[in-house]
Amino acid sequence: MSRRKPSELPAVLMLLPVLVVIVGPFLWLIVSSLKTEREIGRGDPFSFPAQLMWQNYIDAWNIGNFGSLIGNSLINVLGVVTLTLLVCAPAGYALAKIRFPGREWVFYAFIFGLTIPVQAVIIPLYQLLSNLGMINSLWGVTLAQVSNGIPFGLFLMRSFFMGVPNELTEAAKIDGANHFQILTRVFLPLSQPAISALLIISALSTWNDFFLPLVMLISPGNQTLPLGLVRFASTYNTDFRLVFSGTVITFLPVIILYILTQRRFTEGLTQGALKG
Amino acid sequence: MTRLTTTADGADLRAPASARRRDGSRDGFGAAFVLMLPAIALYGLFSLTPILFTVWISFTNSGGFNTEASFVGLDNYLRAGDDPIVWQSLGRTFLWLGYHVVLAGGLGLVLALAVSRLSRTRVFFRTAFFLPHLVSLAVVGVIWANIYDPFYGLISTALTQIGLGSWNQGWLSDPLLVLFSVNVASSWQGFGLYMLLFIAGLQNIDQSLYEAAEIDGANSWQKLCNVTLPGLRDVMTFVISLAMINGLKGFATVFVMTNGGPFYASEIITTYIYRLAFQAQDHGLAAVLCILMSLLAIVITVAFNRWRARQAA
Amino acid sequence: MLRRTLMASAAALGAAGLLAVPGLAQAQTLTVWATDQLAQPLVAELWNKLKADFEAANPGVTVEYMPPTGTISNGAVQAAIQSNAGPDVLLTNSGIGRVSTVVNAKLIQPLTAHYSDMGWKDKIFPWLYDILSSQFGGEIYEVPDGIDAIGLWYHKDMFAEHGWSIGGSWADFEALLQKIKDAGLEPLAVGPRNGANGGHLMGNFLQAAAGSTVMGEVVSGKKAWTDPEPLLGAERVVDFARKGFISPQMAGLDQEGAMRMWINERAAIFFGGPWFIGNARAGEYPLDNMGFATIPSDIEGESKPTGGIGWSWMIPTSSKQPELAAKWIDFILSDEVMRYRAEHPTGNQISPREMPDIKPVVPVMVDVFAAAAKGVGYNPSVYVPGSATDTYFQVIQGLIGGQVSAADGMAQLQAKMPAP
Repeated sequence: MSRRKPSELPAVLMLLPVLVVIVGPFLWLIVSSLKTEREIGRGDPFSFPAQLMWQNYIDAWNIGNFGSLIGNSLINVLGVVTLTLLVCAPAGYALAKIRFPGREWVFYAFIFGLTIPVQAVIIPLYQLLSNLGMINSLWGVTLAQVSNGIPFGLFLMRSFFMGVPNELTEAAKIDGANHFQILTRVFLPLSQPAISALLIISALSTWNDFFLPLVMLISPGNQTLPLGLVRFASTYNTDFRLVFSGTVITFLPVIILYILTQRRFTEGLTQGALKG
Repeated sequence: MTRLTTTADGADLRAPASARRRDGSRDGFGAAFVLMLPAIALYGLFSLTPILFTVWISFTNSGGFNTEASFVGLDNYLRAGDDPIVWQSLGRTFLWLGYHVVLAGGLGLVLALAVSRLSRTRVFFRTAFFLPHLVSLAVVGVIWANIYDPFYGLISTALTQIGLGSWNQGWLSDPLLVLFSVNVASSWQGFGLYMLLFIAGLQNIDQSLYEAAEIDGANSWQKLCNVTLPGLRDVMTFVISLAMINGLKGFATVFVMTNGGPFYASEIITTYIYRLAFQAQDHGLAAVLCILMSLLAIVITVAFNRWRARQAA
Repeated sequence: MLRRTLMASAAALGAAGLLAVPGLAQAQTLTVWATDQLAQPLVAELWNKLKADFEAANPGVTVEYMPPTGTISNGAVQAAIQSNAGPDVLLTNSGIGRVSTVVNAKLIQPLTAHYSDMGWKDKIFPWLYDILSSQFGGEIYEVPDGIDAIGLWYHKDMFAEHGWSIGGSWADFEALLQKIKDAGLEPLAVGPRNGANGGHLMGNFLQAAAGSTVMGEVVSGKKAWTDPEPLLGAERVVDFARKGFISPQMAGLDQEGAMRMWINERAAIFFGGPWFIGNARAGEYPLDNMGFATIPSDIEGESKPTGGIGWSWMIPTSSKQPELAAKWIDFILSDEVMRYRAEHPTGNQISPREMPDIKPVVPVMVDVFAAAAKGVGYNPSVYVPGSATDTYFQVIQGLIGGQVSAADGMAQLQAKMPAP
């Protein structure tokens, strides 16, 4: 970084129009969400509301039940992240550090899943969850999402563990530790980058998932945020102020959270992912 | 459990002595199995079994979850062959995938290169450019449907305001434009991740290579072509495979913004599967498409990795 | 049947750990899937009154409204029924195409027995009963909630101010649309993206071009879509799109988007049934200003609204309360409920049987009743068989967007019709 030339003004000036295009939709939505229905109907995107209509947010929150949608999404994310870590870390360790016959084949069987999109197995998956009584339940969706994320998570953890020198394993074994103890006492404390990468990636993809909730979650009380918003937006399509404020409600909390943690978030995401 | 022990024993007999010594115990297979059990159980139940069942359904006349299905041989495959929408949606899927790799991957690369040159404003731009990636694709669909609305949308009203009303297009109604328009929305959401990956890749390039190039009198363009891009080779492979898989899975934006229309112009394989399986309840034909989609994913992944391996050699 | 119900309720309660609670036969919940507009005070008033009355008449029963997440066309009804949290009775968009989807997938129960044992046969127009009983080899799976009358909605003040009126010949209609276009307005608003609304426009055009006798034969497969009369209807859609009377950009619009165009008076005419009044009210449009007209036709006496059975009650196979659900439908069909609904401010439908002396609260309903009194033509959306519905809707998008010629579009549609 020390070798950078002094002035970055030209580069910034060139990036500003790009910034406007990329961040513009957010600003437009936020400004529009504070207008009255009549102001929106005027179709003047560059004007500001005469009065900030915070009422829009109160109405959207109440009508759209966003509290329950956010709660469901949080439960969903927490469930997927926890289970993914619990499932992928031991399996990744086994595939990286324990020698057993057929290890390659087991690994390939898991990697095979990386290429199969969840849409391609949706019919039997639905049937299966239905037989287990897990349709319309957050748990059903969570388990399907965890399973869908296993190939990637396992791949990531295995790659990271392979980079840990064997000497550490040997030393622990001489101290009489078994595999489980080696995993929890030696490997997990070392694998902060991989764990945060897995955590961030699975949290993001779960938070954003639409397909599985669309197919599986029926009752509005069980739905997650993206699905709930799409339903809300199509029900109140003629009520722009509600659609706009509801949309802002879905992304503003995440964006604030991201801005507060962006440095750690970015490092976690890229360091771990690129190792994989 | 008995079977497990015998397998472990049998395996141990065949395992080379060096391996046994390295494990330091005779229970390598047992321990590995226990550690992998949750993964195997979940993945086997919710991922592998459904793959096999999809193959079975494709040979039946299943017309819904509550109906009895019987074996019909290759009937569904023949029907798929006769259905022009199947072929058209496959073609549109390739187009969609291509748009995504070029738009999202390309924008990610260009912005990564630009942002990496900054120092004081770097974090600001990196953070701002990543914001769209935090919005769920379904929500992106709701947002961009309003941006593209031909009468009230941001684009049409903004163009009219600045006197360029005649530039307005039927973003979501023109059959040649619709897939591209929806893909722009999708790529707006997708590029941020690729950009972060490229930025990380740029940081890993050995700075001395640039210094060496400068001593050789290379200009910025030559440095880009001879140092930067080759240095990003691995990241690029990763990003392109990721973008292709993400592109193939594209569903939410199309479903929300156009539902495959107008007149199937934006129907891609995933939306057609959803239409067949959950609206028309034609599970047999839907399963054929599921298999086609899986094959497509496998072929793309294998072919791309082969190609990269050959490039590297 | 009763035993199955009891076992089902016992299983449900048992699962909740409540098996030991005495008197389980009394405490029953009926989950009803009906309206997604309960956030609107007037709609809530109507449905809460129905709930209260039904609960009063059936002690121990609690009615719970489950907000619909969509229709049969977008798979929401199927998804809800397949889940274990589905409704016990539901009201949704019907028509033979949509209903066959759920019948073939064994998702809804036959109600044929109730047509005789509960006397429903005499609670709907005979012609409705004839249609229903001819569809599934004698079995009937739905109960019409009302019948539709799709026509043209216009703004009274706007038309009075410009001296415009809808009527006369097809050429007069074209001349009117040209004047509207010259005044800088969108002549016709249509949102074909999610299917139904494209069908409303198309059905009216077909009615005007072919008349109801011919269309009756076309939708039942006795006559081809490629025959000159229906083809003329399709050609007129293409022609109007080319002349800018239907903006080609509308091919990407959904029904709600088209409604918004009309409610904000950016468009002059919208094709819809009386249910549109509810949407206009939600959009805070002055209801007194709503005018209703039928599509002009060059065929004598064929300027009629189109309709059919497009909005029906059904009982899912997964209903935990099939008998209570039948009671609910019977309650809906009662004179009191029908009158209450027809005279309520949200009363924007035509009852499925003769209801003399109805005094609608919304003035324009008088015009709707008058238009429908001469008979209602066919809205093909609710008549074409399931194999052809999706193609029908997609072809309409193609005609409006200029992606397919009238002849090609009708040929593609004909190809999906089952052999007669």
